[in-house]
Amino acid sequence: MFRRRQPADADAFGAEVLRYLEPLYATALRLTRNRADAEDLVQDTLVKAFRFSDKFERGTNLKAWLSTILHNTWRNRVRDAGREAVEVDSTRLEEAEAAADGSGLNETPEQLLLRNTLDGDLRAALDELPDVFRQAVWMRDVEEFSYAEIAKMLDVPIGTVMSRISRGRRMLLDQLRKTRATA
Amino acid sequence: MSECPRIGESLAAYADDLLEPAERSGVERHLAACPACRRQADKEQGARRLLRRSSEQLLSEPLPPGLRTRCEALARARSVAALARLGPWWRVRLVPVLLTVVVMIFGASAFLSIATRRSDALLAAQLTADHSKCFKLLGPPDGTAADAPNIERMLFEQYGWKIHVPSSSAEDDVQLIGARRCLYGDGLVPHVMYRVHGQDVSLFVLPGTARKADDLVTLGHRSQIWSRDGTTFVLVSAADAGGMASASRYVMKEAR
Repeated sequence: MFRRRQPADADAFGAEVLRYLEPLYATALRLTRNRADAEDLVQDTLVKAFRFSDKFERGTNLKAWLSTILHNTWRNRVRDAGREAVEVDSTRLEEAEAAADGSGLNETPEQLLLRNTLDGDLRAALDELPDVFRQAVWMRDVEEFSYAEIAKMLDVPIGTVMSRISRGRRMLLDQLRKTRATA
Repeated sequence: MSECPRIGESLAAYADDLLEPAERSGVERHLAACPACRRQADKEQGARRLLRRSSEQLLSEPLPPGLRTRCEALARARSVAALARLGPWWRVRLVPVLLTVVVMIFGASAFLSIATRRSDALLAAQLTADHSKCFKLLGPPDGTAADAPNIERMLFEQYGWKIHVPSSSAEDDVQLIGARRCLYGDGLVPHVMYRVHGQDVSLFVLPGTARKADDLVTLGHRSQIWSRDGTTFVLVSAADAGGMASASRYVMKEAR
């Protein structure tokens, strides 16, 4: 009786998975905004990855596969903890955005880009965004998942994904301006 | 402008440069005439460019101490499990490795079956550490009781553990507050958390092991150990927690 997966593969697979610890932890930290929960989420992700390793199709993107497990695990955990994303009041957001635009913090996106916006500022600004927006923007612009992939992972329609990304990006820029203004 | 909402929906794809040429020029025509939408589009593009520019740095977060070691242990546990499933042809080459595995398994089972006072103390010490760590990580309970069937479902769906979780009991002043999984030895075990008479109390479940019942105090915590149907249970609480007797009896009766 032969098993398809061989022992050398088991070790190789393990080693390959461990190569992606840093990006996994970085993503976990942005989702949870808390070191202990992030560590926990990474370990859960690995336990699942190893348990379901025969579901991974060789030759495809392992990093993306692991990240998908991580996002699914986080989604389930948020759901089980009853912290389901509360639908954000969009009128309130519009008002906040208009206020930000009219507040004299009128540094243009170009000016922000030209300045050396520090990665630390970016992280801090991301952490200020409500969960659903932070996650959508991170998945799209940092992890480079497609709208369809994100929709599947979050179990929401594509239109929702696009509007969360759109809104999240704008909130991020407002947040960065605010950080700049108070710095 | 009346077409603003429609344009707004396309702005993500516009910033991502994913629009068809015709659609794209439609959006651009609108943006040229509508400063409000223009401002939104600029912000979106700006944010995207900033994130893309920094994505590599954002994805490289220094790992907290110990995380890599714990993950390596998970990877090793997995390759040992894969070895154990091997077919005969491979056995020839892997005799030395398999022998090591056999020795490890033998050692572990001897360790567990003897269940001396000393090994109980080790078990109690590690679980006491987990008890303190998990309650600290979880923070103070928010006062809402967790639902036992939900926790059972979560433990089963996420980890494949089928255990009966004793629910809250007003009569015994036992409040179920949640469950996590803890790293114990080379594997993970369910950790169910309670609040009893205002004290943190943990129930650990160690499937596939049997021990003689024991009751001991380690690191300032009392550990009550008992087995039922090939599963060992350990109840950990602060040693001086008064009025624990009826709560312990309740959990010991209900857990399986």
